[in-house]
Order: sequence, then C-alpha cells, then structure tokens
Amino acid sequence: MGLMQITNLSVEHRLSDVSMSLKKGEMLGLIGPNGAGKSTLLAAISGLVDYQGRIEFSGEDLAFMDTTQRARSIALQPQFAQSAWALSVHDVVSMGRLPWGDSDQEIIQQAMQQAGVLELARRPVGELSGGEKARVWLARVLANQPRVLLADEPVANLDMAHQQQAMQGLQQYTRAGNTVVVAIHDLALAAQYCDRLCLLDQGQCLLTDGIEQVLTRSRLEAVFKTSLHIDLKATPPQVQAYAGTQAAIKR
Amino acid sequence: MEKALNPLLWLLMLVLAALSLGAGSIDSAVLTGLWDWLQQHSTTDAIIIGEIRLPRTLLALIVGAAMGLSGAALQGLLRNPLVDPGLIGVSQGAALGAACVFYFNLFAFMGVLATPFAGMLGALLTLLILLGLSGSMARPGIIIMAGLAISMLSGALLAVVLNYAPNPYALQELVFWMLGSVSLRGMDYVGVLLPFFLVGSSLLWQQRRLLFGLSLGDAVAHSMGLQVSRGGRLVILGCALLVGSAVAIAGNIGFVGLLVPHLIRPLVRHRPDRLLLPSALAGASLVCAADILIRLLPPERELKLGVLTAIVGAPFFIYLVWKERQRWV
Repeated sequence: MGLMQITNLSVEHRLSDVSMSLKKGEMLGLIGPNGAGKSTLLAAISGLVDYQGRIEFSGEDLAFMDTTQRARSIALQPQFAQSAWALSVHDVVSMGRLPWGDSDQEIIQQAMQQAGVLELARRPVGELSGGEKARVWLARVLANQPRVLLADEPVANLDMAHQQQAMQGLQQYTRAGNTVVVAIHDLALAAQYCDRLCLLDQGQCLLTDGIEQVLTRSRLEAVFKTSLHIDLKATPPQVQAYAGTQAAIKR
Repeated sequence: MEKALNPLLWLLMLVLAALSLGAGSIDSAVLTGLWDWLQQHSTTDAIIIGEIRLPRTLLALIVGAAMGLSGAALQGLLRNPLVDPGLIGVSQGAALGAACVFYFNLFAFMGVLATPFAGMLGALLTLLILLGLSGSMARPGIIIMAGLAISMLSGALLAVVLNYAPNPYALQELVFWMLGSVSLRGMDYVGVLLPFFLVGSSLLWQQRRLLFGLSLGDAVAHSMGLQVSRGGRLVILGCALLVGSAVAIAGNIGFVGLLVPHLIRPLVRHRPDRLLLPSALAGASLVCAADILIRLLPPERELKLGVLTAIVGAPFFIYLVWKERQRWV
C-alpha cells in the first residue's frame, strides 16, 4: 500500500484521468514536454486547483483533510517563486515552519545546511543569484519537514555542480523515509536520481514505472518529438536530444 | 536594533502624548489638571487638560495608530509598498457618508455623533460594495481596481453634495471637516472610535502569519495551509473598520498609512508580520507630533491636521516614485 494514492484525477483542460501511487521513501520524477501537466499535477496534490477524482494520503481523502495537517504533511515548491519583500534568507527558510506554528532554530539551520545556504543566512534573498535563490526555496520546503515534498523544477536555474548538490539533498531527504515528487526536464538527472518516473503527455499519464521501463527511445521520441540518444548503463546515465525530428515526421 | 524598536517607539509615543497634553496657547499644569479632572473637580486646569487636550491627544494617537496599522497590513496583503488605506476607497466612502449628514441633516437625534456615525455607515457600505465587486477570490489587482472605482464614484457623489450644499455655512463646515482635524472633539468621540479601533486592529493582528506567508505569493501561502481568501477578506474588513472610523471622526488624515510602514520596514528586516505593531506606534507618534506642531503655529487661523500631513506626505510620495523609477532605468 502506497503513502499516497491518486485515482482518476482530472483537472479541467489540464489533466485527464491520472492514476498513480506514491511509495514511502521514494523519489518520483514527473517528466514530459512543456504543457504536459506536471505542474498541474503538483498543484492538485497540494490543493491549489480544483480537481475531480480522489487523492488519498495515508488512507485519508485529501479533500476532507484539515488544512494545517495537510500543510504539515505535504509541501510544495512552485516553479516561479519570488519574495515580494527584501526578506533575509533565514526569514524565508523560517517560513517553512509556519504550518507548525513554531520557529525551531535547529530545524531551520539544518534545512539551510542541507540546501547549502547556511553562509547566506543574513543576506536579503532578492540580492542572490538565480541558483542561490533556488537553493533558498528548497531550504524553505525542507524546513517544513513534509512527509511528501513536491518540487516543481527545483534545479532548472542551477549550474551542474549545484544541480547535483540539490538532487543529492532531495535524495537524502527520501532516505529518512520521506517521499519526494519532482517535476524535472533534465532526463539524465531524472535517470540518475529518481527511483521511478511518471511520463506525462497532453494531460495524460502514459506510464509510471522504473527508469528503464519509462526511458525507452521509441517512447520518448514519440512524446518529445525529437531524436534521442539514450544510454542508461553509462555512469552517469545519458539522455541526449539531437537535431532532426525523425519521430515527428513519421507521426 | 530590531529588539529595541518597539520599546523605543512606545517611549516616543508616551513622550509625545505628554507633550501634547502640555502644548497649547494657555499654560496649564498637566499633572494637577489631570488629577483634578479624575477627581471631577472643575478647575480651569482640569477643564483644559481633561476636557480639551486629553481627548484631542487620545484621538490623535488612535487615528494615527489606525492609519499606520492599516497601511502596513494593506501593503502586506497587496504586496505593494505604494499602497495607502485611501486606495481601497473606504476613506472616500466615509467622507461621503459624513457629508450627507451636513446636507440632509441625517441622524439629528444623535447630536455631535451624527457625523462619525454616518461616516462609519459610509465606510461600511463602501466596504460591502468593494467585497462584492472584487469577488470571492479577491486578487490584489482586482481589489485595487475595485477600490479605485468606488473612490471615483464616492468622489463624484461628494462633488454633487458639495455642489448642492444648502448654504455657504454648511459648505464651509463640510470642507473644514474633510481637511482633517482632531481638535474640538470631546471624550464621547474617543468612546465611539475606540471599539472600532480595537476590533479592527485585533482582526489585523490575527492575520499576521498570513501577511508573512503571502510574501512568497498566493500559491506558497495556500500550500502552507494559510487561509488566503478568507484571511485577505478579514484584513480588508479590519482596515475598513480602522480607516472608516478614523476618517469619520477626524476627516482625511492622508499619507500616514503610506509613509509610516515605508519608514519602519527596513527596521524590521522587511517582515510584513513584524511591521504591524511598530507601524501603529509610529503612526500614533507621527499624528500626535503633527498635532502638537499645529498648536505651536500662530493661533489666529488653525492649520488643519490633514493639510499638514498631506504637505509633508505628498513630497515623500514623489520621492518614492522617483526612487522606484531609478530601479527601472
């Protein structure tokens, strides 16, 4: 029995009939082209959009769950975040404790350390680089200590070293028995860090399975409409697109 | 600095309040006057301090606190440092309500309290239209647009009332009232204002976690379990109670709600939740100080309080626009 069970989830014009289950302690990658419904799925799980269907967390229907309890269990890092005020990094990360109604300094420090922003604690978040900001947003959700952490493109703005660092941080978080769902465009990173993948296209979930079952050349070429080179045996795994749209032409 | 801020502002406010009790064209012994007034002795000092300067000082403090606090809360809610409580249209609604008293002689049985009562009614009506117009999912942009639309309508109706004023005397009274003042108002005015202030400010105080969470946007606040829609409406309601009652009692005291949170913000490390209390204290101090300044000017023709705050506030606003422009160039 999974930690979260999604059954026949539909969001008007965005998602249709998505079903899947999340297991305890796994990292699930949501992959698919732009507009496939990755962000919408994360928004539905965190209660930001109206949906039909059913989402169960630990056997409880999310639609009827107490909002505070829900916010403690499930935290979302949206794709486009910014702070309206010149808040310090420490204050932004401490916001992760809002659902708990405390400001536990130990947890906040630990979250900043995990995301690699401890040395930035006193800086105003608006002055940071895109990569540093992304790590601050990540630290904020880590401080929330959710059982299910939803991250929408958490590494999109990061350089290679920081991408690795951030994904390792998320992986470490799953090792403690938590579940991470990450929407991610970089399929090589997905193959490197995720335990399972969910391939979305045009609002439908085509497949949720292990890395090797999902990342097959024919399937990805059909969905992404580009030619691909895939080598999952390599270290690190390789998934590369190259010019030419054979698959698209065939279709 | 941040820890010392609130105690310092409390102290500043109390010092200004004490100065305000002592300031005026007649020298009075403040402590003796207060003591006599509390003992209900009708000495000259007791009447000057207790009946004239005490209500004036208390009104200045409450009106200033109401403006500072609602400015801080609205700026936090709408995530915009250029928001002023006048922007949601409530002060114009209150002004229209009060103007109707002068024109139609409404609520005559209430005596001096007819004006504040009608002002409050106008503010409340404006608020209901605002909430209705901006819909259930009140987005910041929509609230500002709705507020602007209501302001314009109230302004137009106010112009009609002024246009058809029954006599020059009523017109003059109306205009002087709109210029804003806390003088010549007794303790009964304080009694009317205080409950609205307490209810309004406690509504805002309860939403400070929401204001903090909203810094990262609606989606993040919502995902953190904060009641974005409902809380936002309560903030608007609280501001309407504060601003509506303050305008109804004291007329338009502009720019305090814009200026004060702006000055305080860097001192609380830009946190919208920690901005509330110091903004109330600093707003109270500012209006009290402005009211003392007015009394130090030659007494033949009193400069109205709202005129002074506008004369100081408007150039500051111009400076803010200038600074904002520099960011985009």
